Amino acid sequence: MKKIVIKKIEHRSIVWFKNSNSYLIFESLIAEILSKIDAKISLTKIEDWCFKKLEAPKEIITELITNTFIVYKENNRLTPKKQTTVDKFITPTLFFSEKHYSIHNYIFKIQYQNEYHASKIHPTFAHLEINESSSYNFMYTLFDNNQSLVFLKDTTFIGQWNKSDSHVFEGKLSMQILIDIYKKPETDWMGIFHASAISNGKESMLFLGDSGNGKSTSLALLSANGFDCIADDFVPIDVKKNVHTYPAAISIKKKSISTLLPYYPELKNSAEYHFKKLQKTVRFLPPKTIDYRKRLKCKALVFIKYNPDIEINTHLISQIDAFQQLVPDSWISPLEKNATLFLDWFLDLPCYQLTYSNNEKMIDTVSKIFNNEL
Amino acid sequence: MKKKTEDITRKEAIKKIGKFGKYTALTAIGTYLFLNPKTAQARSPGAPGEGF
Repeated sequence: MKKIVIKKIEHRSIVWFKNSNSYLIFESLIAEILSKIDAKISLTKIEDWCFKKLEAPKEIITELITNTFIVYKENNRLTPKKQTTVDKFITPTLFFSEKHYSIHNYIFKIQYQNEYHASKIHPTFAHLEINESSSYNFMYTLFDNNQSLVFLKDTTFIGQWNKSDSHVFEGKLSMQILIDIYKKPETDWMGIFHASAISNGKESMLFLGDSGNGKSTSLALLSANGFDCIADDFVPIDVKKNVHTYPAAISIKKKSISTLLPYYPELKNSAEYHFKKLQKTVRFLPPKTIDYRKRLKCKALVFIKYNPDIEINTHLISQIDAFQQLVPDSWISPLEKNATLFLDWFLDLPCYQLTYSNNEKMIDTVSKIFNNEL
Repeated sequence: MKKKTEDITRKEAIKKIGKFGKYTALTAIGTYLFLNPKTAQARSPGAPGEGF
């Protein structure tokens, strides 16, 4: 059984290691040796092959093969699964609030035991809230148990998290919503990308970059200028390489409000939320339209950066650069066929760096990328 | 004659340096990048939370 997947990237090779779900980029010669090790060819035979190919002294070859074998073994060591002990819990019967949301024609009832749970989820789904309904399709229950946050779906235990990992809990809840609304199990998703996504109706484009670089602001600007909002912060792509809509509201930081007010006057009076620890203030902007039926191929990855000193600058970046930025920030399905799909998907995509301060020019550039005019 | 010897020595030296560089890179497995994706789906840290 093969334990690695190898793909060419520029003049090097990406090697994906199945057991550790890690991606390593090597010189192509090393990838060739790894592939022979994986095919269970004896080290002596690999040494002979290397010796003929490189014409280097025997001891150098031996050292090379030995080191490569160590790399192979180390990265294929099975990571022990975390023992998750589920604390005994009693599902509460009293809740701070119970809200109903309509998502893709399904009714979700979410029970929040206290204000903390509601504050984690409700602001991003407030625009989908409907009046209390006696019937629902899914019920999510959130409550505290021994300092942990517990998530049940229709009374089935989904997981528990420390409060310091609440962003992982939010990720799991978001994933569960995707599974429920699109009827696709986790194994049918190629990856979840920390990005924002827009569409021109036919294809989509992902905007990536560190927090504070303008992913959400550019998404809001583009959706006010003829593009559709597909997802903010949580971009799901399935195993058919289709980008799907995720309907959470766009999180707008205080510094972007003045830029967006001309397009979204409703932001003026919308509720403001303070993140004490992160020292930031945001308002939530519901997507203008939500179309759950869209299945869109990705046209390009755009690494976006707001820079007040640069009006507009766009250029293609190397795939290795893009890969390094993309992988650590993404959830990529650890299944071999999905990891292979992910590599094929990524290696087919153009990757741009877009630095801007002029909004009109940024919007124009995005149109040009969609229309192959750049 | 002296010139020729110098030439050979220089050539050899360059060859040796070249080989040395090449082999050093080989025995160190070349430079490589190690990247791990996230082990769980996550949202950006810091939805409002307590005290919002």
